[in-house]
Amino acid sequence: MSEERREKNRGFGRRRLMGASALGAAGWVAGTAGGWLLAPKWAHAAGPIKMGIATDITGAIAPSGNANWQVAQFAVEQINKGGGIVGRPIELYLEDTASDPKIAVGNVRKLIQERKVDVVLGGITSAMRQAIKDPIVNRGRTLYIYPQLYEGQECTKNLFCTGPTPAQQCDKLIPYLIQTVGKKRFAMPSANYVWPQLLNKYARKVIEANGGEVVFEEYYPLDQAEYSATIGKIRDGKVDVVFNTVIPPGLQPFVKQLYESGFQKNGGVLSCVYYDENLLNYHPAQEMEGLYSCLDYFQSIDDPFSKQLQVDYAKKFPDTKYLFTAGSAATGMYRGVKFYEAAVKATNGDVARDAVAAAMDKAKIDQGPGGGAEMVPGKMHCKMNMYIAQCKVDAGKTRYDVISSDKMVDPKEC
Amino acid sequence: MLNEVELDMPSAPVQRRRRTRVAFASGRLLPIIEGVAFVVAVILPFALGDRTDLITLATNVLILSLLAISFDLCWGLSGIMSFGQALFFGVAGYAIALVGRDLDFSELWGTLPLAMLTGLVLAALFAAFLLLGRKPPTTIFVALGTLTGSYAAERLVSGWQYVGAGNGLSSVKLLKLGDYEFVEGPAFYCLALTVLTLVYAGARYLKRSQLGLVLAGMRQNEERLAFFGYRVQLFKALVFSLAGMVAGLGGALYSYHQGFIGPGNMGPGLSTTAVIYCLFGGSGTLIGPVLGTAAVEVLSYVLADVDAIKQFWPVILGLVLLGVVMFQPKGILGLIVSDRERIGSYGLCRRKD
Amino acid sequence: MAIGIKLAFDILAFTSVMVLIVLGLGVIASMMGIFNFAHGEFVLLGAYTVYLFESSGLSAWAGIVAAPIVLALVGLVLERFIIRRFYAAPIIAMLGTYAIGLVIRETVRGLLGGHYKSVNEPLPGAFTLLGIDFSIWRALIIVVTLLVIAGTWLFLARTSAGLQIRGSLENPMLARASGISTTRLYALTFAFGSALAGLAGALIVPLYQLSADIGTRFLVQAFLSVMLGGVGTFEGPVLGAALVGTTAAGLPWFVIPVLADPLVFVLALLIVKFRPQGFITQGRL
Repeated sequence: MSEERREKNRGFGRRRLMGASALGAAGWVAGTAGGWLLAPKWAHAAGPIKMGIATDITGAIAPSGNANWQVAQFAVEQINKGGGIVGRPIELYLEDTASDPKIAVGNVRKLIQERKVDVVLGGITSAMRQAIKDPIVNRGRTLYIYPQLYEGQECTKNLFCTGPTPAQQCDKLIPYLIQTVGKKRFAMPSANYVWPQLLNKYARKVIEANGGEVVFEEYYPLDQAEYSATIGKIRDGKVDVVFNTVIPPGLQPFVKQLYESGFQKNGGVLSCVYYDENLLNYHPAQEMEGLYSCLDYFQSIDDPFSKQLQVDYAKKFPDTKYLFTAGSAATGMYRGVKFYEAAVKATNGDVARDAVAAAMDKAKIDQGPGGGAEMVPGKMHCKMNMYIAQCKVDAGKTRYDVISSDKMVDPKEC
Repeated sequence: MLNEVELDMPSAPVQRRRRTRVAFASGRLLPIIEGVAFVVAVILPFALGDRTDLITLATNVLILSLLAISFDLCWGLSGIMSFGQALFFGVAGYAIALVGRDLDFSELWGTLPLAMLTGLVLAALFAAFLLLGRKPPTTIFVALGTLTGSYAAERLVSGWQYVGAGNGLSSVKLLKLGDYEFVEGPAFYCLALTVLTLVYAGARYLKRSQLGLVLAGMRQNEERLAFFGYRVQLFKALVFSLAGMVAGLGGALYSYHQGFIGPGNMGPGLSTTAVIYCLFGGSGTLIGPVLGTAAVEVLSYVLADVDAIKQFWPVILGLVLLGVVMFQPKGILGLIVSDRERIGSYGLCRRKD
Repeated sequence: MAIGIKLAFDILAFTSVMVLIVLGLGVIASMMGIFNFAHGEFVLLGAYTVYLFESSGLSAWAGIVAAPIVLALVGLVLERFIIRRFYAAPIIAMLGTYAIGLVIRETVRGLLGGHYKSVNEPLPGAFTLLGIDFSIWRALIIVVTLLVIAGTWLFLARTSAGLQIRGSLENPMLARASGISTTRLYALTFAFGSALAGLAGALIVPLYQLSADIGTRFLVQAFLSVMLGGVGTFEGPVLGAALVGTTAAGLPWFVIPVLADPLVFVLALLIVKFRPQGFITQGRL
């Protein structure tokens, strides 16, 4: 009896170990075969062009990240349908940056070392961009395209930005708010990281140059949930326009608490430069009513190409809640893919980083959401059309009515 | 204290039976495991060839093993439940990143000792606050104190602009030795392996030394040892500081290897992951945490690509931890290694246990 | 003057949330001597229950009523099969409950797809009193908390079951010898503590978004509150929660928010170090 027990114990121990290693081995085999990969349907002698997308599929920024991923798939599918780039198909790889720079760094490294992609597009928050740009551009020696609106001053070689810059967003919006809407007293509640800090610096200059006044500028941890002190300051400082740079997850409680304090009811104006139709994923429509935003595209723009893009996107992703919009970097992602296509066409299929970077520096795209775009040579940023719009609520859905537009605005960076 | 010991040891009859078998067959299993692990570690870079991504994974395992060993020194060897080892890991990582950024210095012979010193001093301060004082602290207080320290540091750093706030510090200057820069790959792997081997040897020596004997006594029954005249809290503080030093070293290597250090690298998340590594492998054995780290990290890596499991891998990890805590507190190694080997034998035994 | 009242109201609202959470944790710690690391995840489950009700079309109120019940059941099951084994060793209890919390948290994260979800307040908006706006929902939370505290105190002080509980708190051996089934009492206490956490989660979810991590942000503060207030009594954790809650909500008015955050913990830890038994002491730990 005791002998049996001893034997069983020993055997059990060894069996368990072998079981664990078998599982590991099986996992490895499955792992290298599977993964988040979209493979093209045909092959080319020189092999496919490998494009890596590193965006937030989970976490606080997930609604924007998923929009990015879907738009990337959509754009690449269109290109592949048209025969790829110079006959070579694009192979798309995804890694989830999970709205957490710590995880992102490891996952992005997979794209570079394991998948050996030729270009990486992605990163939404500036925190994410700063974390992943080193593994991609320096250690990984790979081209990186950053698609989101941001604070500017990113002049790293081989890092192209296809989203709006502070100059493109604030130069017209702020004077509009001060002079046309008539609101002069600004509050700047902000998330505590680099984008709000630098954007606020730029915005403050424009505000003061146009006769406005910044009543207070404050920074909160990203997951701040209690804003009663802030609302108090807004009320007591007689602030009439809140220039918001708080981001999720702190965003939703802030906007809710602001709305409930009656700010908009009493004539206050909310303005936020990353707000678009996708923000409905973050909080209810009525909290956004009357908000002013300035972006490179809104769905209500009367432009046949943009409208066709939306139709085709809806065909590929029917009933999706992740919309093809500008504040969520989706338009920047589309632009990034198209710029890359234009650059590789110009190099005639050569995907070596220096060649493509040189070609991308001069690249132009004729049509895109909201209009075309062109890279400013040597500046790593591009000119694009900008639109000021106000959010209107219609049966629980938001509609951004375009108020004014500007063609091919210069990014004024680097 | 008595209760904890009872939970730790299996019941007497089984113990006697097991002991007979083990004493006869494999009284020295641990050195064999250590030897095998070392040989595997040495030939791994050659076996993996040009799969840089896997070599990077292996290097990460080695570096994180330092954190796991640091926890084992506290808990497995001395009975201090520290939920904040990542604090020393992260702070050292930040320290060398800042030195690289502001002073443009990243020489091996300067920064690694700096990291060790940072870990040592910070841990000593914590030990002084948590462990020393007129009344000996309750275990809960120590656990909570370390957890709070880790958490508060994470929140503080998340808001401090100078250290990059929530962004963390990226583009960490590469580790250098003279003119040679250590990038991810076989070179860094060899460096990490060397460091781990030295630390491991040191810890092993500690465990087998007179100090280790005192620690073993502390772990068994603190009160009894105190009655013998040993200043138990002082020993605990000493070990805690040494563990902090090891964690600091790991943090520096991590920072150089990843090229990034963020608030998450010093918070309760990573601290508790260290606990998982150690418990899963088998606490008190020193090689157990290393194996635990390897197992968890490798599985995480491969399963992260398998869609079906990807989302639920952390759940599985949690269930594994629960299972380990409930049924097999001694971890994987506890299945094959006897208690006597785990705790260590010192001289002759009067009884057969 | 208006600022003072507003400040007091906001502090009171936040403190009420803390009290609900800490009361459950404190009751479990006092009775069984274990610190339940999964308590934050019980709060999460309470919030998740409300979300489930709301998103499947049922009323959020139903969810709020259901949450404590669901959590009481979860607590009973966990206690019966897992927690019971930990009573002998508090350290193992910490690790074990941490593992449970991890499992719950990651399961919910998987179910939420890693996203953040919004739940609407069943009573939105604000009411005006003396020219100051007060959020209706926060006022409700304060009222509910006061009712819970009053109800619990009455139960403990005036009923025979309450007497049994207080007896077991003071001297479990003697209580068992007197014929009180401590096994059953422990199970009920754990269920009660879990139910309180669930209620707290259900009430706060309209204010703070639902994500898998909402439990963890309260956990450390809750533990400190319990240690600060003193384990072993009913009033201790309440006092501790009040202190920590007041500090956490009030500091940002005086100190910049990013510094206020860690400062609360440092202060609490300092006080606990120098008065390890807490402010109100009686009973075991």
